[in-house]
Amino acid sequence: MVRIRDLRRIDAYLYEIPPSFRPDMRVPARFYADAALIDNILGDRSLEQLVNTATLPGVVNHVLAMPDMHQGYGFPIGGVVATALPDGVISPGGVGYDINCGVRLLASQIDVEAIRPHLDDLASMLYANCPSGVGKGGPVKLAAGELDQVMEKGARWAVQRGFGSAADLERTEEEGCLAGADAQKVSTRARDRGKGQIGTLGAGNHFIEVDVVDRVADDAIARRLGLFAGQVVVQIHCGSRGLGHQVCTDYVDLFQKAVHKYGIDLPDRELVCAPLSSPEGRDYLAAMKAAANYAFANRQVLVYHIRHAFEQVLAGKLNHHHLFQVYDIAHNMAKLESHRVGARMVEVCVHRKGATRAFGPGSDVLPPVYRDIGQPVLVPGSMGTSSWVLVGTEGGMSQAFGSTCHGAGRTMSRHQAKRSVQGPALRRELEAAGIRVRAGSMAGLAEEAPAAYKDVDRVVDVVHEAGLARRVARLAPLAVIKG
Amino acid sequence: MSTRFEEVEHTADRALRIYGRNLTELFVNAAAGMNSLLVAGVFGDAGRVAKRIELEAGDAESLLVAWLSELAFWAETESLIFNWFDFMELSPARLVAVVRGAPVQALDKHVKAVTFHNLAIGRHPEGLVVTVVFDV
Repeated sequence: MVRIRDLRRIDAYLYEIPPSFRPDMRVPARFYADAALIDNILGDRSLEQLVNTATLPGVVNHVLAMPDMHQGYGFPIGGVVATALPDGVISPGGVGYDINCGVRLLASQIDVEAIRPHLDDLASMLYANCPSGVGKGGPVKLAAGELDQVMEKGARWAVQRGFGSAADLERTEEEGCLAGADAQKVSTRARDRGKGQIGTLGAGNHFIEVDVVDRVADDAIARRLGLFAGQVVVQIHCGSRGLGHQVCTDYVDLFQKAVHKYGIDLPDRELVCAPLSSPEGRDYLAAMKAAANYAFANRQVLVYHIRHAFEQVLAGKLNHHHLFQVYDIAHNMAKLESHRVGARMVEVCVHRKGATRAFGPGSDVLPPVYRDIGQPVLVPGSMGTSSWVLVGTEGGMSQAFGSTCHGAGRTMSRHQAKRSVQGPALRRELEAAGIRVRAGSMAGLAEEAPAAYKDVDRVVDVVHEAGLARRVARLAPLAVIKG
Repeated sequence: MSTRFEEVEHTADRALRIYGRNLTELFVNAAAGMNSLLVAGVFGDAGRVAKRIELEAGDAESLLVAWLSELAFWAETESLIFNWFDFMELSPARLVAVVRGAPVQALDKHVKAVTFHNLAIGRHPEGLVVTVVFDV
């Protein structure tokens, strides 16, 4: 266990566990927190998991965790780990089972007061249009061979099928398609799990949420993103469904042998990895990209269903109910990027597991429309609480491989949450606060109770004050749709 | 053996500590434990659907992950819950079993994956014990 005496405070919000803490550490382990969050972080095994990631071959600078960090499996949630090419490793567990789990933000021109009379109908229509729940399939049927196109073209496939527009693609990380995806590296079982699930939400902590912009922290940047106070917006949080889960399962299993082949000694079998230059490492990267593209396509089809729901409920009643896309980000991904290591710019593989890419202004991978303001970052809070829109900064580039937090972060186990919160009572509480809830499972609702999570405002304060990202606007929930 | 499995607190996911007098009982109890996550309460109609499962792995822990992953796959794709298990062969490297069960109307929980996190089958006074973390 890591204790408070093992920590070295580097500045107001940054702590370090030095490599002397454990002989197998190759680099320091750093994390961002304030005084209150430290207690949460020391309360589970997330720091031990972070230290374990510091043992990975080829790891550079330091391993990092964001203030929403909590215990996961293998890597901690909130972890950021970069390994140097060509022989540094890639770890499927460092991406997680829900490859390219991410968040998309859509915005309307509707004022919150105008939509209130229609919220019940809108919540019900969104629940009806967007399939959710365990293993639920969707209405989109794929022709023979079309799943390969989904995996190799991502959201571009969805736009070609009429589920969105070029403007949506422009405002999606990687324009909704990672180059180098190879569907042939994805197993038959993964295909079986994914072929019927395009355009579905799933269960767990995934959701669709209708929100209002309740606070603008940076008016100039908010306007550039098309956001204003009182505006109705929609968040989507989901990923690559069963296909991505199976890709990770397949490669974690395969890599159990690869670590012996390459003589890699690890403190946890979930950290299994292979050199990026190896056939196993290249195969996983190509399969991971295929699953990530599936996730981009999945969110794009959900956008279509959501726009249709707005049209069905609001046409003839409210003008300007079209939803435009603000941005789409991934928060479970490994990406090849160029970052400063010592005095040099080096090609590295950045694993972000429950962490968001947050590139600062000027990065040429950002769409031209946002290049001068930095990458939009979407940070959903827990159900019933705020979410945030941020932008990436130069500080994030220099400190954290261009990364920031991804959410509020759990503090309470799902088991404990279910024991202390009753789903129906929570639903009544949220409804009493004016938040419409449509959920397939009351037990699932209880697991996602706000009390089970950290205060997202505090998490965002830390990344803002630490210079990892800048606050732009806060969102408050109006309606929540869950599986 | 009085306790077949018990839940262990885990911040984000679900973890079970599973017991068995031998490898066969450990695998049966692991399946029963995962079933308790997938479906609350009892489920009937055992034996309506049967499947033969053959798996190979490099060691007993990998085989346990493969076994539970197989059952989670049928739960996700066909809502099938198996609660009767007949092992024709079970060694740390290979498993052949016939499983029987039935579809359920709805699953309470989605097991996305069975992880290798700190996975090690160990000994305890009455036999074997292992803790499995499920990504949910």
